[in-house]
Amino acid sequence: MNSSVACADEVLVSCRGVWKVFGKHVDEAIEASRDRGVSKKQILHDHGCVIGVSDVSLEVKRGEIFCIMGLSGSGKSTLIRLLNKLIVPSAGQVLVKGQDLATLDGAALRKVRSQHIGMVFQSVALLPHRSVLENVAFGLEVQGVSKHERHAAAQQSLEKVGLSDWATRFPGELSGGMQQRVGLARVLTCDPEIILMDEPFSALDPLIRRQLQDEFRGLTKSLGKSAVFITHDLEEAIRLGDRIAIMKDGVIIQVGSAEDIVLKPADAYVADFVAGISRLHLVRAHSVMSQHAQWAARHPHIDLAALPVAGPQADLDELINLLIQSGAEALLIVEGGQPVGVVTPTDLLRGVQGSESEEGAAVVAPEVQA
Amino acid sequence: MNPSTFPSDFDAAVDAGLEWLTDSSAHVFDFINEVLTGLVQALNWLLNLAPFYVVAVLIGALAWRLSGHWRSALLTITGLLVCAYIGLWSETMSTLALVLAATTLALLVGIPCGVLGGLWPKLDGVVQPVLDLLQTLPPYIYLLPAIALLGYGSATALVATFIVAIPPVLRLTALGIRMTPRSFIELGEASGTSPAQLFFKIRLPFAMPSIMTGINQSLMMAFGMVVIAGIVGSGGLGEAIYGAIRTLDIARSIDAALAIVILTLILDRLAQNATPSQREAQHESH
Repeated sequence: MNSSVACADEVLVSCRGVWKVFGKHVDEAIEASRDRGVSKKQILHDHGCVIGVSDVSLEVKRGEIFCIMGLSGSGKSTLIRLLNKLIVPSAGQVLVKGQDLATLDGAALRKVRSQHIGMVFQSVALLPHRSVLENVAFGLEVQGVSKHERHAAAQQSLEKVGLSDWATRFPGELSGGMQQRVGLARVLTCDPEIILMDEPFSALDPLIRRQLQDEFRGLTKSLGKSAVFITHDLEEAIRLGDRIAIMKDGVIIQVGSAEDIVLKPADAYVADFVAGISRLHLVRAHSVMSQHAQWAARHPHIDLAALPVAGPQADLDELINLLIQSGAEALLIVEGGQPVGVVTPTDLLRGVQGSESEEGAAVVAPEVQA
Repeated sequence: MNPSTFPSDFDAAVDAGLEWLTDSSAHVFDFINEVLTGLVQALNWLLNLAPFYVVAVLIGALAWRLSGHWRSALLTITGLLVCAYIGLWSETMSTLALVLAATTLALLVGIPCGVLGGLWPKLDGVVQPVLDLLQTLPPYIYLLPAIALLGYGSATALVATFIVAIPPVLRLTALGIRMTPRSFIELGEASGTSPAQLFFKIRLPFAMPSIMTGINQSLMMAFGMVVIAGIVGSGGLGEAIYGAIRTLDIARSIDAALAIVILTLILDRLAQNATPSQREAQHESH
C-alpha cells in the first residue's frame, strides 16, 4: 500500500454520537430519546424540545465528496452547521482534522474556519456593497492578507470558476448561477481542505444546476478537496457523492455509495426515494450478473469464450450497448483474466427494473466492498 | 399621605428637588452651560467667518459634490442668497450652528447607544422606553427645568434640540444593526471573522442605509425644534419668529419661516445625498 492510498483514508471530519436539541431541557430530552427510545413527537410534547440531529456519527475522508440527502426538516442543515460549530452540539464530539471543536478557544476556532473548513451557502450571501473580486477575497481579508496578495488570489479562483471577466462587477449584476460560482470561488480562495456546501444549487434552474454540479465535482476532484454536500435531491447526491448519507428526522438511516443505496435501500423510506432513480449509470455488471458455470451448463451449445467480454465495473448502459451491437445471447464478465459471471438480457432487464439478478447476486455482492 | 394634599405635596417636592439641584450643583451646570454655549458660539463664529456669498457658494459646492448635479448646487446657492437678501443671514447661520451642534451631539450619543442596543437586545429593552418617554413628552415640559438649571440662552436651546434629535438616530441605528440578514452573519462566522471584523465588515455596512436615514431624521427633528428653542433664547431664526409672533409682525415671521424652510430643505438634500444607498443606486443605473 503506497502513501497516496494511506492519505486517501485520512479522516478529515468526524462526528461521534452528535446530538443537537433545541429547547430548554436538552439533557432530559436526549436521555429520553437515546435510552428510552421516546419518539420525536413525544419529546416535543414532554420536554418542549425539538430534536434537530439525533446521535449522528459519520466520517468524511480526504478527497471524497460526502453527500447528506434529506427532505426539509430532516436536520441536514443543522448537521452541516455542527461541522464548523456555527451551531454548538448538545452532545457528542465533532473533530476537524483530529481537533475536537469543543476544545478550541475563539482564536483557534476562527483559524480552523478560515483555513481548513470553508462554507458555501444556499443564499450565496455575496456582500452587495462589494465588488465580485472583493467578495471573493473576503476570506483572506479576514485573515489579514494584504490587498495586493488577496486580490491576486481572488482573481485566480475567479478564473477557476470561469468568471475572471466579472471581477469588477457587483453581485446584483450577476445571474443566480454566476453568483453561486462566485460563492464557490470565494471558498476556494482560502484553499481549505474541506468545503461545506449547504444546498448551494437548490435555487437554480435544472440546466444550470447540472452544469454547476459537474463543474463542482471536477473542481473538487482536481484540487483534491473534500466536501460535505447537503441536498434534498437524491439525483444530485448520486451525481456528486462518492458516498451518500440519507437523513430523516435527525437520524442518518443509511450511508453508502450511490449503488449501495439504490440497490440495497436500508428501509422502506429509502426504497421509496430510490424508486424513481434511473439505474442505467448506477448499477454495474457485478451486481446483476449470474454465475457463468451454471449458465454454461444450461446453455451447452454456446461457447463461453465466444461471448463479448465486459468488466465487472461496466454499468448497465454500457452492457446494453455491447449486447445489442454484438447480437450475442449474453455477455461474459471477466476480472483479472478470469471469467466471474455472465450477464443475460434477463439480468439486464431486472437490473433496469431495480431487482437484483435471479441467482448469485447476493453471493457476489459482498465482494463489491473489497 | 393625605390624598387631598397629594398634588401640592408632589409639586413642593419637585420644586424642592430642583432647587436643591440648582443650589448644590450650580458649578456643574454652569460648566455645562459654558461648554454648550461655547460650542454653539464657536460654530456660529466659524459660519460667520466668511462673507455670506462665500458661505453660500461653499455649501453649493458641497451639494454639487454630493448629488453630482449642478442644478442642486444652483438651487442651494439661490436659497441661501434669498436668506441673505431678506436680511436674515446672521439669524440663518446661528440657527444652522444650533442645529448642527445639537445633531452632532445627538449622533455622538445616539449612534454608539444604538449600536449597543442593536447588539444586546436586553439593553435595547431598557433604552426603548426611555426613548418613548422622550418622544412623547411635550418639549415645553422639560424646557422649564432646563431653564432653571442652565438658564435662558443657547445652552438650554441646544439641550432641548439635542433631546428631540437623539431618538430617531438611536432607534434606526439599533434597528439597522439588529436586521443584519442571518445568512451574512453565518458567512462572517464561517469565514472566521473576529467579533470586531463581523461588526465592521458585515453588520455595519448592512446597517448603513438605516443609520443614514436616522441621521437625516434626527436632523429634521432638530429643525422642528428651532421655533421652540427660540422661546428659551436660542437666538437665530427661532427667536426671530417668536419675537415676530409676540409683536404680531406677520411679514417678518413669514420671512423667518421661509428661511427655516430653505435651510431645512438644503440640509435634508445634503444628508440624503450623502447616504451610500443612493450612491449605489446611481452606480447601478450607469
